[in-house]
Amino acid sequence: MTVAPWICRSCLSRISRPLIRQRLRYQSTAACKVSTSESISPALLARARSIAREHKGLADKLANGFDARSAKKLGEHGGVVSTLKEWEKANESLRELTSLIHDPTTDPELLSLASEDLATTRTQLADASQSLTTSLVPVHPFAHLPCLIELRPGAGGSEAAIFAGDLLRMYQAFCNRNNFRATLLKYENADGTTEAGVPLSEAILEVESGGAYGLFRCEAGVHRVQRVPATETKGRTHTSAVSVLVLPSVQENSLGEEDFEDPESDYYIDPKEVRVDVMRARGAGGQHVNTTESAVRLTHMPTNTVVAIQDARSQPKNKEKAWRLLRSRLAQARREKREEEMAAIRRSVVGVAKMGRGDKVRTYNWGQQRVTDHRSGTTVHDLDDVMEGGQTLDKVMESVRSWLMERDVEAMIAEETDAKK
Amino acid sequence: MPRISNALIRHARSIDKLLPPLLRPCRELRAAQNELRWLREHAAKVASTRNAKVRDTLLRNLVLERAKGKPLQYLLGSEYFGDLQITCRPGVLIPRQETAASVAYLARLVRQAEELPPELRVLDLCTGTGCIPLLFHDELAATRKDVRSRYLGIDISRDAVHLAHYNLQKVWRQKAYADKSVTAFVQADVLIDPFDDQNAGMPCFKAALNHYRQPPFWDILISNPPYISPSGYWSTTTRSVRLFEPELALLPPPNPDASDTERGDVFYPRLLSIAQHVEAKVVLLEVADLDQAHRVARLAQDADFFDGIEVWRDWPDQPNDAEPVELDGFPVIGQGNGRYVLCWRAQGAPWLGKDVVAKAETEPLSHYSLQPTFIYRPPSKIPL
Ligand SMILES: C[S@@+](CC[C@H](N)C(=O)[O-])C[C@H]1O[C@@H](n2cnc3c(N)ncnc32)[C@H](O)[C@@H]1O
Repeated sequence: MTVAPWICRSCLSRISRPLIRQRLRYQSTAACKVSTSESISPALLARARSIAREHKGLADKLANGFDARSAKKLGEHGGVVSTLKEWEKANESLRELTSLIHDPTTDPELLSLASEDLATTRTQLADASQSLTTSLVPVHPFAHLPCLIELRPGAGGSEAAIFAGDLLRMYQAFCNRNNFRATLLKYENADGTTEAGVPLSEAILEVESGGAYGLFRCEAGVHRVQRVPATETKGRTHTSAVSVLVLPSVQENSLGEEDFEDPESDYYIDPKEVRVDVMRARGAGGQHVNTTESAVRLTHMPTNTVVAIQDARSQPKNKEKAWRLLRSRLAQARREKREEEMAAIRRSVVGVAKMGRGDKVRTYNWGQQRVTDHRSGTTVHDLDDVMEGGQTLDKVMESVRSWLMERDVEAMIAEETDAKK
Repeated sequence: MPRISNALIRHARSIDKLLPPLLRPCRELRAAQNELRWLREHAAKVASTRNAKVRDTLLRNLVLERAKGKPLQYLLGSEYFGDLQITCRPGVLIPRQETAASVAYLARLVRQAEELPPELRVLDLCTGTGCIPLLFHDELAATRKDVRSRYLGIDISRDAVHLAHYNLQKVWRQKAYADKSVTAFVQADVLIDPFDDQNAGMPCFKAALNHYRQPPFWDILISNPPYISPSGYWSTTTRSVRLFEPELALLPPPNPDASDTERGDVFYPRLLSIAQHVEAKVVLLEVADLDQAHRVARLAQDADFFDGIEVWRDWPDQPNDAEPVELDGFPVIGQGNGRYVLCWRAQGAPWLGKDVVAKAETEPLSHYSLQPTFIYRPPSKIPL
């Protein structure tokens, strides 16, 4: 009954937004290498050329009088246009050199010069291809935001809960080493302590530094552990799993007030659709009881999303945390829904793996002291360094980010092809 | 109260052996786990420089005291009141969440008003820890840097006035407010009739105003007075409240001529008459339940001084989802038990976002006063 209206509004009307946003924000640095090949996909190249044509049109228009919108667009496309020029130059010289070399009439001296140049031109072309790709690949619209990392033990009983604690400490150490500010927003285990080795039932770590979402979003998914649990008497290896959810975290200042107020925003919540329950004192309340209950539960009624926070003694603090969490969860759900709809558009592309709750993304194997990421296919052997949040973890995460970027390129090309049909 | 099941006790024990004793005051596992965490954090903080053994002993003692019913707030030394951490000490009532909810709600209504007096004056009778004026100011100062405000808290108890002063210093230091507001706490007995010269000991409210050179007129009057009747005290309050919180803060003084109900209501006629004397434009009085709210609202109506009266439940910012939505013509708003009676005069209506014409609609013609509702306010330089 109440489901239909908001899904229609939030998903279908929003479906066009990320496309617009993505087109406006491009990778500014080539932090992650997509490939070192000198080739570039024809679709991507076609796209760059059409941008260049549009750019020329805009420049002509500007010559005849100032127009703020065109000027802005011109600025945004400038990077693509100049890299395309570089690429075309390198491509042109490569073609000339190759034909020289293959031409039987070329004299030997020139031939040896040409072969020498060939190598450097090849690198130039590879570099230009690389930067053209990065300047065209969209940056995730929330990459600049801080994030929330939620850990929940999955299959595997108490061993899964212990591993969840290990992963939490791994991320904490990683943040510590990289000077990211990380705070535990929620920590629940059996006895309410934070001691190591105590089974964890749920933890939410907030990484408050800007850009954290872009860095950690590759961690979302099911992390699998294979080891002999401390409690195992027969020495058998168990397989357990922990699910990791990574959400962009919205604080009032990271998005600007208007995003909370704007009904078009993913982060917008109509307060009338949220039921607030505060844990009430039993009975008469007021002077009759001196309860310490401070729990707050928010229910977003149209989607039946429930968050409950009880960590702080202060009820307003709990309420604030609960709202933050609810906004993040709903925004994530809306994005996922929208992404699903977009995936339908890109159906032609095989291998666009959705990074979500369901997929097994990484295995930590104690017996072989290795960590394998199933998306990028990377295996590293310094398990201890990974678990201590060391540089080996950087390496694994980086491999996934590159892999993700390749997927993004594929998806974008699919979109381009689709648009042409 | 139902007994705690053995299964629950066993389950709690398997998690932590300190949990079962906490089930007695908390009743629920989740609440007991929270309290254990807070106590553990407290013990770690207090004993941080000493060794683990000291810390464990400290924690065990805290848990045992809590199991006997001693309020957690007295053990930890504080309670959160809205956004403020208020220091608590045995002998002074622990501030309640419901009080914070209504005081914050009122302050948030008032701070939205376009026009406020150049100095907004808020009087809190029976102030206890001083939490009400401190929270009102905190909420007001958050968005209204343009408004200067003045607060006066009055209590009969010396310990309360001392603690209120302490909280004032602490909160102002923590929050580093930049506005020019003034807050004072004064010891006085609000029940003594100012026109009865017989009293020798405690000064009456009016004498205290004079003595401390406080202004005679106040815009807003708030009070959470002792309101529990003797029968309510034995049937409705929890053991921890009866054993550990001061009776002076809960039970109005005995009076051989008064019935049980009358004794619970002792403060309200006095508070309403003080409201008239100080020409309060908005009055917010805490009550025990809907029945008492009803009686106090009628009392306020009979005073023929207010232009609007309504009843607030525990959480006035939530939509009312339970009967009644109206008591005898007084609107009832919010969720939970009946908790506050709000009265306003025409001049205070815009501060609450209310229409000024309420009186003609809600009251029979016989109550209609031909006197102009505007009352001349003498300039404050007239000697007190
Ligand atoms: C229910 S407590 C309220 C304390 C505080 N306002 C709060 O909300 O937490 C009532 C207070 O009234 C004080 N009190 C009792 N009799 C009084 C009297 N006759 N005159 C002034 N204060 C009185 C008590 O000392 C106590 O601090």
